[in-house]
Amino acid sequence: MKLINFEFLKLRKKSRGWLGPILVFILIMTAFPLTVEILNSNLEQAFFSVLWIATLLVMMLATEDIFLEDYNDGTLEQTAIKYDSLALLVAIKIFVYWSLIGIPISLIGALYAFGITGSIESALQILPVLIITTYIFLNIFSFGNALSLTKGSILGTLITMPLVLPLLVVLGKVVIAINLGISFLGFLFLLLGILSIIILILPMVISFVIKAHLE
Amino acid sequence: MIKKFIHQFASPKTYLFQVDRAYSYIFYISLFIYLGSLFWGLFLTSEDFVQGNSYRIIYLHVPASFISQSLYLAMAFASAIFLIWKVKLSAYLVKSIAPIGAITTFIALISGSIWGIPTWGTWWAWDARIISTLILFIMYLGLISLHDSFTDYEKADKFLAILVIVGSVNIPIIKMSVEWWSTLHQTASITVTEKPAIDSSMLYPLFGSMIGFAGLVCCLVILSSKLQILTREKNKSWVKNYV
Amino acid sequence: MFNFAFDSIGEAFIMQSANGQSHGIYVWSVIFIVFLSLAVTFFVYKRKISSIGKKIK
Repeated sequence: MKLINFEFLKLRKKSRGWLGPILVFILIMTAFPLTVEILNSNLEQAFFSVLWIATLLVMMLATEDIFLEDYNDGTLEQTAIKYDSLALLVAIKIFVYWSLIGIPISLIGALYAFGITGSIESALQILPVLIITTYIFLNIFSFGNALSLTKGSILGTLITMPLVLPLLVVLGKVVIAINLGISFLGFLFLLLGILSIIILILPMVISFVIKAHLE
Repeated sequence: MIKKFIHQFASPKTYLFQVDRAYSYIFYISLFIYLGSLFWGLFLTSEDFVQGNSYRIIYLHVPASFISQSLYLAMAFASAIFLIWKVKLSAYLVKSIAPIGAITTFIALISGSIWGIPTWGTWWAWDARIISTLILFIMYLGLISLHDSFTDYEKADKFLAILVIVGSVNIPIIKMSVEWWSTLHQTASITVTEKPAIDSSMLYPLFGSMIGFAGLVCCLVILSSKLQILTREKNKSWVKNYV
Repeated sequence: MFNFAFDSIGEAFIMQSANGQSHGIYVWSVIFIVFLSLAVTFFVYKRKISSIGKKIK
């Protein structure tokens, strides 16, 4: 419990850590209708693709220094020694990042979906999809960040970007399912299944990588 | 005795010695099989009813894509051995297979896209199997760049192994993508459980070219691993005697 | 001895099929690319091995 509060405090204090990604997301989603003609009826079709790409990029941005500061001032080493499982710390960190960055982004994204498509049903359907997707992206990109902890984070996150591309394919199918109104729950459970596997495995992998860095 | 036989392969020196002896045999036999099956497939089989003569690219495209996926699985297997038993030779092999895998995937992508021009009318289509193979190609490039960005070899080996294992989730996606989604790609003609959907006169050159291509890729992996071992072990005494 | 699918070298070059399309250029360009990439890879590796051998000596 103390760990969760501590991590929340750390992220809350560093306002550019959570405010930055949210503002970038709002910027991208607002700039998107400006780049197409104002009376264009294709806005709806392109909107969801821009939504997924913006989520992807913002999650990549958000994990830029998820471990860096702690690694630099030695906190990571101390917690690795003190607590038995570094994996728990990693999982808590990612959970905190998700709750302060991922959930606001999902809400804002659902709001934009309602604004552009005009149907509250599709916005309500895209909200849980966005919530799950941001968590999955955050996990995968923090794995990438941990891989290149000492060399700057961009290399690592770029290298793990190919791992999220199959997820984007699934998300495209989800959008089609929402538009046609069929089998949305099936995709939701698929995403939940992927999330459950990733939540269990990736923190252990990330803690293994961090321990290898600390040697 | 079997344990001793397997254990001797953990040393790079024995590996190089055995591989040097086998190299010319593997190279010439697989070259003969590959060129022979290509000759058979290109000139001696009759044309396809639907696709005309352009189906002959199958003898070049299918072995390349099959081998590129198998190379990734081999890398994942070697990474697992490295992480569990800390055998250094496995790490060398993982590092050396990555460029060969990238080249094979490149061949598969190019041959597939050129094949698409007469059959599908377009040289690129965003369907699931093509996207997944492109992802595999980008992953190979990412693996090469990850290992090159570290100066400390021990850490680089460990991270490479972890990334290979985490990224091996892409292989089932490639293999199953033609069944999970309705794509432009045709479904598998050769499965383990059923009779092949392809005519047997076209099947034998296909198997032959797969075996030949596998042998040639094996020779490339041997060369690449030799380069990697010489680079990494160049301070050892046996290397000076070997060269 | 062999029953060739094409009657002459010229026909094998163009590979015209029964429905009139000539797909020879696609097949031969793929063959060229595959052989070229394999050959280049072999030569590059052989040169790298010999250069590192010289450096070790």
